[in-house]
Amino acid sequence: MASMVAVQAKQPSFSVLPSSLSDFNGIRLTTSVQYKRKVLHPRGALHVSASAAKKILIMGGTRFIGIFLSRFLVKEGHQVTLFTRGKAPIAQQLPGESDTDFADFSSKILHLKGDRKDFEFVKSSLAAEGFDVVYDINGREAAEAEPILDALPNLEQYIYCSSAGVYLKSDYLPHFEIDAVDPKSRHKGKLETESLLEARGVNWTSLRPVYIYGPLNYNPVEEWFFHRLKAGRPIPIPNSGMQVTQLGHVKDLATAFVKVLGNEKASKEVFNISGEKYVTFDGLAKACAKAAGFPEPEIIHFNPKEFDFGKKKPFPFRDQHFFASIEKAKSVLGWKPEFDLVEGLADSYNLDFGRGTYRKEADFSTDDIILGKSLVLA
Amino acid sequence: MATLASSSSIVFTANPSSSTSTSSSAARSLALPPRLTLSSLSSSTTLSSLFSNSPTSVAYSTSSRRVLTCIPAFSVVKASAAEKKKVLIVNTDSGGHAVIGFYFAKQLLGSGHEVTVLTVGEESSDKMKKPPFNRFSEIVSANGRTVWGDPADIGKVLEGATFDAVLDNNGKDLDAVRPVADWAKSSGVKQFLFISSAGIYKPTDEPPHVEGDVVKADAGHVGVEKYISEIFESWAVFRPQYMIGSGNNKDCEEWFFDRIVRGRPVPIPGSGMQLTNIAHVRDLSSMLTLAVENAAAANGNIFNCVSDRAVTLDGMARLCAQAAGLPVEIVHYDPKAVGIDAKKAFPFRNMHFYAEPRAAKEILGWKGTTNLPEDLKERCNEYVQIGRDKKEMKFEIDDKILASLKVPVAV
Repeated sequence: MASMVAVQAKQPSFSVLPSSLSDFNGIRLTTSVQYKRKVLHPRGALHVSASAAKKILIMGGTRFIGIFLSRFLVKEGHQVTLFTRGKAPIAQQLPGESDTDFADFSSKILHLKGDRKDFEFVKSSLAAEGFDVVYDINGREAAEAEPILDALPNLEQYIYCSSAGVYLKSDYLPHFEIDAVDPKSRHKGKLETESLLEARGVNWTSLRPVYIYGPLNYNPVEEWFFHRLKAGRPIPIPNSGMQVTQLGHVKDLATAFVKVLGNEKASKEVFNISGEKYVTFDGLAKACAKAAGFPEPEIIHFNPKEFDFGKKKPFPFRDQHFFASIEKAKSVLGWKPEFDLVEGLADSYNLDFGRGTYRKEADFSTDDIILGKSLVLA
Repeated sequence: MATLASSSSIVFTANPSSSTSTSSSAARSLALPPRLTLSSLSSSTTLSSLFSNSPTSVAYSTSSRRVLTCIPAFSVVKASAAEKKKVLIVNTDSGGHAVIGFYFAKQLLGSGHEVTVLTVGEESSDKMKKPPFNRFSEIVSANGRTVWGDPADIGKVLEGATFDAVLDNNGKDLDAVRPVADWAKSSGVKQFLFISSAGIYKPTDEPPHVEGDVVKADAGHVGVEKYISEIFESWAVFRPQYMIGSGNNKDCEEWFFDRIVRGRPVPIPGSGMQLTNIAHVRDLSSMLTLAVENAAAANGNIFNCVSDRAVTLDGMARLCAQAAGLPVEIVHYDPKAVGIDAKKAFPFRNMHFYAEPRAAKEILGWKGTTNLPEDLKERCNEYVQIGRDKKEMKFEIDDKILASLKVPVAV
């Protein structure tokens, strides 16, 4: 069961334990634990890095990215608290997660219950607790970051989940971190938050994912395709289907978030985080089918301007090219995605949709509008 | 981990993703046990496959499957940039790639290397009146040597001259390149470089084309890549796409300027969303120069020889218009419906054709400098300066396309 509010004195049980750590058994979590890790550098040289366990706050953490990130951080030996309203359970066993792993995680994960829009409460509760590092996974507006910064003047690092949606639309792609951003975009709150972090002088790092996918995705990205594939329905794709987008697996994103923790090279830097390769809309439909073991789908292209869908979206992606280079994260952080597209979609399918779970019920109303009309683009 | 007994105590590890730049002096001091000398290798065995832990499914190693890493036990001595090379460029006499040799020659000469350019054909041919050939005086005045001849007779043409490195920027298949490669091998050339083509990548739903991706097995260039990987100790392959730059032998941006400056619509096949890669040729030249100057790092690798950004076909039209300071009207059409030869109508492939230069960045430390918005301004200036904007031109195919678009297309 998850523990509430106050820091519990817990026996650290590090799952990766060289024998030199036996001296540190029994130390309470309230003191920072110093242990040395021997990391085999890929080129054969030995790298010895000192890594202190940190007191970490995740804003959010019970919905998607944070579920995986919190587990990685707890496994690394950090003390992790989730700031949520408590609408979802603090710890829920993941599909594929062993009972022992889940028991370990749920015995260690901490909860700070509150509404982050209640800025006074955020400031007072965070100030009372004190945290070394904040992962702001669900922040949308700069105003939401202010009380956190005010509460924690000695914050070591503010790690922010931004979005590649901040980039100004361009004919000249991929988006690199140096590219122009769009102050009028739907994600301008993310931009304003990044600017605030820079202005406040805190040690910040911002990650800009493109489309995130993976088990437990609440955004109907892969789920949208899986519903149609399962129902044996054609996949309606706007215009040419050649639009190029990019998906990044949530576990790879979580790994990137861990990589930047305490990393000097990440200080005051922005990183695009997504998959190695991009994909066309048509290609994505085929990849979903391949990953889930469905036959190749029938794809119908349509001109969105010819229809009135009301408030509903006929397709879950922006109707434009949208992809970003992850080269900076690869070369600066030494991070790289583990999942390629079909593998990642299979992971999502096998652990989620394929087991009968999904977030949104299938809604084929816009499909039927498209299919019902006699004129369709070839 | 294979350890070879050698006097310089070098340790070999199988490391597919290694980007260690190896010391060229260490590579040269490699003492192979007799059973592993190159002459004893059959044509289907490669040096790298001997050291790989898993069977290789391709007969030659690609940068993503490179399994041989040399890690000297002593401190790494980097290949000195002061080491000057004698380089031969075998250059095509026409086409989009012709300009590559021109820039490469000038860049090498500027860095103090010795350069000979062997252009296919005859110096007196009409083809030599076109750029870049009509500017070869720039190579000569920089102390480069320019000769002409048939690559099949290369030994005779070069009259016994020897070189450290050869770039074949001519052949599209083994018939054309083999004589050059064989001569190079027998005359002691250490490094063989080949201009292949990103056109050999198999079309994919998951762009971009990345080094190591599947190629069309029947493409002529593939045969060449395989052959040189087998016979040379030091080799590298470069796969370009489209390029712009003064001295270009083939129209690229000019196709757009021709229409934009005359206030004509720009007909683009398909959706106009097709992504392509258009590099300034100086980026290709800098990549080749890095490969010559750090042969050890380049060795055994395929490099996409392109800029680090893609542009859509519509985007290219817009950028050209912006560079010219003029408006543009883009019209889209279906080549099949209009009944015209797509290749004659439009200078780019009607599909996503988009490679990224990831190997060059990771392995050579190469950086792209192409900046289409800026570079196209310079190109437009030259376009106007040579008076091409005033030139009389016919647009027969365009007219046919535009006429057909006035007819409603039945669904």
